[in-house]
Amino acid sequence: MKHSVNRPPTPDAAEDQGKEPTLQEIINVKLIESGEKERLMELLRERLIDCGWKDEMKALCRAHVKKKGRNNVTVDDLVHLITPKGRASVPDSVKAELLQRIRTFLMSAAL
Amino acid sequence: MSSKINGHVSPQPCPHLLVFRSRNGPKPFRALQDCIRVKPPGGRAAIRREPTEVPRCGTCEESSRSRLYACVACAAVFCHAPLLHSHASDHSLSIPGHEIAVDVDRAELFCCACGDQVYDRDFDAAVVLAQTVNATATTSTSGSTAMQCSVAGSQPENLRKRRRVDYRPWEPDSGEHISRGNQSIPLLDAANASLVSSTQQPWGLRGLNNLGNTCFMNSILQALLHTPPLRNYFLGDRHNRYYCQQKNGAINGTKNSRLCLACDMDALFSAVFSGDRTPYSPAKFLYSWWQHAANLASYEQQDAHEFFISMLEGIHEKVEKDKRKSQSPAGSGDCCIAHRVFSGILRSDVMCMVCGFTSTTYDPCVDISLDLEPNQGGSGKSSSAKSLNSFNVEADCMRPNQNCGISTLKGCLERFTRAEKLGSDQKLFCQKCQVRQESLKQMSIRKLPLVSCFHVKRFEHSSIRKMSRKVDRYLQFPFSLDMAPYLSSSILRSRFGNRIFPFDGDEQDASNDLSTEFELFAVVTHSGRLDAGHYVTYLRLSNQWYKCEDAWITQVNESIVRAAQGYMMFYVQKVLYYKESENQGTS
Repeated sequence: MKHSVNRPPTPDAAEDQGKEPTLQEIINVKLIESGEKERLMELLRERLIDCGWKDEMKALCRAHVKKKGRNNVTVDDLVHLITPKGRASVPDSVKAELLQRIRTFLMSAAL
Repeated sequence: MSSKINGHVSPQPCPHLLVFRSRNGPKPFRALQDCIRVKPPGGRAAIRREPTEVPRCGTCEESSRSRLYACVACAAVFCHAPLLHSHASDHSLSIPGHEIAVDVDRAELFCCACGDQVYDRDFDAAVVLAQTVNATATTSTSGSTAMQCSVAGSQPENLRKRRRVDYRPWEPDSGEHISRGNQSIPLLDAANASLVSSTQQPWGLRGLNNLGNTCFMNSILQALLHTPPLRNYFLGDRHNRYYCQQKNGAINGTKNSRLCLACDMDALFSAVFSGDRTPYSPAKFLYSWWQHAANLASYEQQDAHEFFISMLEGIHEKVEKDKRKSQSPAGSGDCCIAHRVFSGILRSDVMCMVCGFTSTTYDPCVDISLDLEPNQGGSGKSSSAKSLNSFNVEADCMRPNQNCGISTLKGCLERFTRAEKLGSDQKLFCQKCQVRQESLKQMSIRKLPLVSCFHVKRFEHSSIRKMSRKVDRYLQFPFSLDMAPYLSSSILRSRFGNRIFPFDGDEQDASNDLSTEFELFAVVTHSGRLDAGHYVTYLRLSNQWYKCEDAWITQVNESIVRAAQGYMMFYVQKVLYYKESENQGTS
């Protein structure tokens, strides 16, 4: 068996080494490195449970599985099903809170 | 596709997973185990080669996508967004044997070929082990027994996916204690329970002050306050006036937007059911209703029935805007509480006398207006409203064709659902004959509402003779009413006999949902002349009758009610009518 897990992947031939990372990427990396992304994810999870969003999505999935049959549904189906509804039904207060946290983080990271 | 092993249902592996396992020895996921990183808050397991690794798609360099998968065979990371592009799928297709991948953020196995999550006992065991080890490392237990302790005992904090608070039964804090004491009235005074039953009036009985010829409003309000489904709706806080005003006030700051008859109803229910017995002045309600029905805004006496209709419209109007349920079929009652309670569906059949073609229409209705026909039977006996013996005659007049000279509600309903020959001056267009023909019209009830309101047409306004008059004739009404004979199914059966109708399936949902038995709970009566009259409402609570005359509420005998001149009668589905037991004192 190959211990391939410990070996870094071979660089993709199409990789452009001169490409500038986008602002989104820079922010993302900073969030991950500082551990802030993990904290934000936890916060988001908590808020989405509190407001019943998770239960709503669960119910949607259940209904879909009931309709299609347990063995005829894949993860991709469910993701496809709930992604638009999920994105649309996140409460504004949750969005606002997270944006505020990100803003605060960015201001502190910029210093 | 699941099998039971030791009583646990485990999903069957997909063919690609089986192939992968068969090719990679007894412990194909062993190497992954070193990459399982468990984050202390929440104890989530993720797959990272280095603890600080930022996973990136090997094809497109994306690191912020939500689903990144690492190929279990070669450790290459790819993104998977089936709608846009799936570099993970591309990879799996390009190299056989590389279909199985692992979600880097969730540590869950995924088959890129099947597009679905797959499960492997060894892999899951490895993840659980990692999470357990992490848990014991952070708890303060020591020694080799640590792992056994934490697994055998209660789950440590960070093995739980969510922070949970242990259940504690609710106890009011000091602030809540005080407000409970100040604003609460005990429902049942346990010490004086036996004394209470005979003297205590039921909940929700409160007089309404007359604000200037407003008995028409007070009488209807009293009936509505005790309409069971409506009362339950408002007392159950289904329309919270504070929330509604906050919501509407935020959208549009003008005064008109804050007009909401449902909010005023909510306030009225709160006031009447508060336990305070002093008469209440529904001034705010009157003012709101004036704004809604501007043409009726005056201190003149109005028609109670007109007020009733306009009130229902007012509630419908406001709530409909909020819910945006205007697409629901008329009469289904989905639009607002007013229609949910009162809306039924009437069926009208018009049959051409020449060719027999029948056209059927359905119309929603919130009440049924009945004509008071002149006395049948030649006895000429005028049934005076004062005649207390009239209800004894009911036993003799069981069948409609026995004319005893008494008008009954059942008689009116029979007349309402009778086939009526439309006169030659009222010829209706027949679609088959393509010309106006003499027709036969018959009404019936397609769908019964939760609450049936019967309106007796006592006020005749004749525009020809430019005069109006009131019909004082006494109408006898039952306390229990079975509406079965007036349903469309019954009417049609009596018309055609026992036949298999093509529309039978159509009629099913109308009658078998709820029963057809109704109980009377409120009677609005009118006494006096058309231009100078007085409305009084009789309410039936726990099988006792109460007379509600503006601010004065008194308990009355049922014979008084039977003898009263009914103008509007309110019947509720028997299943919704709670008959409290007579003895309130018994526990």
